[in-house]
Amino acid sequence: MSDYVSLEGLTLAYGKTVAVEGLDLSIAKGELIALLGPSGCGKSTTMRAIAGLMTPKAGRIVIDGRDVTRLPPSKREIGLVFQSYALFPHLTVYENVAFGLRLKSAPDLDAKVRDGLATVGLSDFADRAPRDLSGGQQQRVALARSLVMEPKVLLLDEPLSNLDARLRLEMRMELQRVQKETGITMVFVTHDQAEALALADRIVLMRNGAIEQMGTPEEIYSAPVSGFAADFVGFETILPDGAGGGLAWRPGAVVLGSGPNEGTVRGTAFAGERREYILESPLGTIKADTPAGAAPLEIGQSVAFDLPRERAAHLARLD
Amino acid sequence: MFEDRRIGLALALPAAIFAAALFLLPVGILLSEGFRADGGWSLSAYTDFFASGRNRVVFLRTLKLAALVAGVSAVIGYATAFAIVSLPPSSRGRVFALVTLPLMISPVARTYAWLVILGRTGFVNQMLVGTGLLDTPLRLLFTETAVFIGLLQLFLPLMIISLVSAMENMPRDAVPAARVLGANWLQVFAKVILPLTREGLVVGGTLVFTGSMTAYITPAILGGSKVLMLETLLYQRVTVASDFASASVIAMILMVMAFSANLLLKRLASARRAK
Repeated sequence: MSDYVSLEGLTLAYGKTVAVEGLDLSIAKGELIALLGPSGCGKSTTMRAIAGLMTPKAGRIVIDGRDVTRLPPSKREIGLVFQSYALFPHLTVYENVAFGLRLKSAPDLDAKVRDGLATVGLSDFADRAPRDLSGGQQQRVALARSLVMEPKVLLLDEPLSNLDARLRLEMRMELQRVQKETGITMVFVTHDQAEALALADRIVLMRNGAIEQMGTPEEIYSAPVSGFAADFVGFETILPDGAGGGLAWRPGAVVLGSGPNEGTVRGTAFAGERREYILESPLGTIKADTPAGAAPLEIGQSVAFDLPRERAAHLARLD
Repeated sequence: MFEDRRIGLALALPAAIFAAALFLLPVGILLSEGFRADGGWSLSAYTDFFASGRNRVVFLRTLKLAALVAGVSAVIGYATAFAIVSLPPSSRGRVFALVTLPLMISPVARTYAWLVILGRTGFVNQMLVGTGLLDTPLRLLFTETAVFIGLLQLFLPLMIISLVSAMENMPRDAVPAARVLGANWLQVFAKVILPLTREGLVVGGTLVFTGSMTAYITPAILGGSKVLMLETLLYQRVTVASDFASASVIAMILMVMAFSANLLLKRLASARRAK
């Protein structure tokens, strides 16, 4: 794999609090990478470091063959779409998009700005103020503002988390389209596994400032390496396999109503298409669900269940 | 808020009566004094005032010092305010408290402290003479510099507070966004921070300018009769010469300057924004 962006032994800290330690990551040109993990795992810190908004304690950041570790953000040729969008409220949409181009006195400024606005479908909004736009539109302005600079890498911080469900789908397709059209290398940060699975070419799952697992969405989804990774992608029942590793099942993989094991229903929730159950059993806590049409189980009721081996994910580590 | 607006207005009545009887009326009488001469209306008090070279010197000095203090405090204030808002929230409160601490100490005490520092046998001179840099102590007190320093330390916190609250209202990440888009720090300040904190600068600038202009204690103690400002001149005219006409003129000048400063700053702020 060609290393278009590479992070080498990157250690990042806020004062004495180490947020990321010894991180190694290579990103190929044109790749769409998701940094996935719970809050506090170091994913946003890593992104800020790539952008140059934070100076590493140790390690190197190389972009397109150039060591940018000590360069200020203004010299890195990267784009960053903030979670808060960070549009300039005193400037129009047009001037927001033109901001970076004006600073470097880019030729054909007007054409580039119009182009950028067209790319995100906001040509008619050039003279508006950012506050008159919806959240989704503001984000597209922020996207255009970064794209017109033709950055080597586009970083996006939780690009979909502030949008409602409908806009989220729209923006997701928008990002994929833009990436396909421009071939730009994108790194986005998210805590939402569904978002990462749907959007990324490759997912970097982070935990406590280090990489827990890295792989294609399929690998991350179906072959987690640890209890943490399994839990994060929806394997809710995780049991030791007796050999230091573990076995993990999604709720839908647990068979309810028959099987060698016995458990007691401790909790139940109706979730539309499925009905979810929490069982207490000698094996541990089991999370299962059934199609909503199945006869509901009562809390306190005893029920037989099976954990089919062939539907389990095999974890190298239990933690 | 009230179904009947008259109830709301009635609630403001006591304050309105108080202000009218004890503020507007006496000020009105005082100011009208400046337009009277020989039993009739006249502008002679004003022409007399500005005819005096000494008065003109005091007038221009007051204007100059107030503008200088406002300008310098804006420069220091921006740096300090940006440092404060860049701190993590936990330590931000503590540092902010340090900035406001001087406001809780009597300005008389604070100004007298400068005597200890700037006097003939004060800290600065002891250092200069003690280290052999100078043979004889410098005369630091009763100079414009001393008044300037005293006023600056007196009013700087107001500028910092105004700018901090203005900066706290800037969108989070506006500054890093500009950095990533290629702006150096000077450009970040000119294109993002300044336009987004203009209102804070207007408020802070007006407070510091009018405060410096109308300060009495600081120029009285650090400037004495050698470096008169309009306030100390006013006091002198009244107590030494019982010259109420001049006092009235000075009071009017101070008022007009305060209002003009505020209008001018507001105009500057909105003119830039419209561009």
